[in-house]
Amino acid sequence: MSPRAVIKRLRECGIEWFAITDHNSLANCPAYARVAAEEGIYFSWGVEIQSAEEIHILAYFDAPEQAILFDKELYDSLLPIANDPDFFGDQVIIDENENILRVEQRALINSSLWDLNTVVERIETFGGLAVPAHVDASVNSILSQLGFLPETPHFDLFGITAGLDVEIWTVKHPEFRAGKLLRASDAHYLSDIGKGSSQLYLDNPCVSEIKQAALGEPGYLIRV
Amino acid sequence: MIKLSDYVSAVQGTNHTPALKLSEVEIGDAYVCDMLSDVMGSAKPGQAWITIMKHLNVIAVASMTGIPAIVFAKGSVPDNAVIDKATEEGVALVSSPLSTFQLAGIMFDLLK
Repeated sequence: MSPRAVIKRLRECGIEWFAITDHNSLANCPAYARVAAEEGIYFSWGVEIQSAEEIHILAYFDAPEQAILFDKELYDSLLPIANDPDFFGDQVIIDENENILRVEQRALINSSLWDLNTVVERIETFGGLAVPAHVDASVNSILSQLGFLPETPHFDLFGITAGLDVEIWTVKHPEFRAGKLLRASDAHYLSDIGKGSSQLYLDNPCVSEIKQAALGEPGYLIRV
Repeated sequence: MIKLSDYVSAVQGTNHTPALKLSEVEIGDAYVCDMLSDVMGSAKPGQAWITIMKHLNVIAVASMTGIPAIVFAKGSVPDNAVIDKATEEGVALVSSPLSTFQLAGIMFDLLK
């Protein structure tokens, strides 16, 4: 998806703040950050990491410099298997004008060697916020892969799928009631943008305040 | 080597890809795994894959790894979208009520 097309779509959906969370890589964040800044839409650096247990964990960063350093470590932790473009397409890294800067050869679709604990510890070391992705999904969620929500690592915020009926789901999964939820589209195509979003009642569009809202600090709210 | 059709008979199996002839699929080895990334990294072409996972990604992984047949354990049955994709890719799908352990054991014995 091209940054400009994404932002046009976001505008159509009335969305003012977004993150991209490519699988196991933040390499495309600079292009989106540049276009977002030009277009006056808030953008956060993000990634969806696949742990060794095949759990998907979202990571969001406020500081691009930290995100870049994290990305380097994440890349080094990936199984060194070559991508097969016949099945997964070319893994392109683009600039803000959709020019292809390079094609990533290592398969990003695969898992990191980091287990869940290590993923979270690494994210937090680089100042990021770790959010288990689509916890209600039947594949690649913390529940689908482990069968239960472990006591550690401790999470304050959980990602949910776009169409989840939260009321019914939290009745079935009371262990998630203590934390906060974050709904997103997980859009892989332009037409999916806007299918799921959250309203963030914060002072500033930054990840640190999402964390404060997740901790339940007064004056902050995430509404799904 | 054994014929997949003989294996299916030995495990109370059901062929979910009738368009593919199981008697023409020869198996000399198998891989038992329920993690896609591990199968992608370690399974070998020609191995049968014994698993409980039945979602669509399983077919892509089988196809790219050169796995000719997937055996679903514990009565796990793939849905039509998965069956169609498998037929298209030439990956035979078999399900059996037996456990992964039993399926692997029977395969191992037949290949001895």
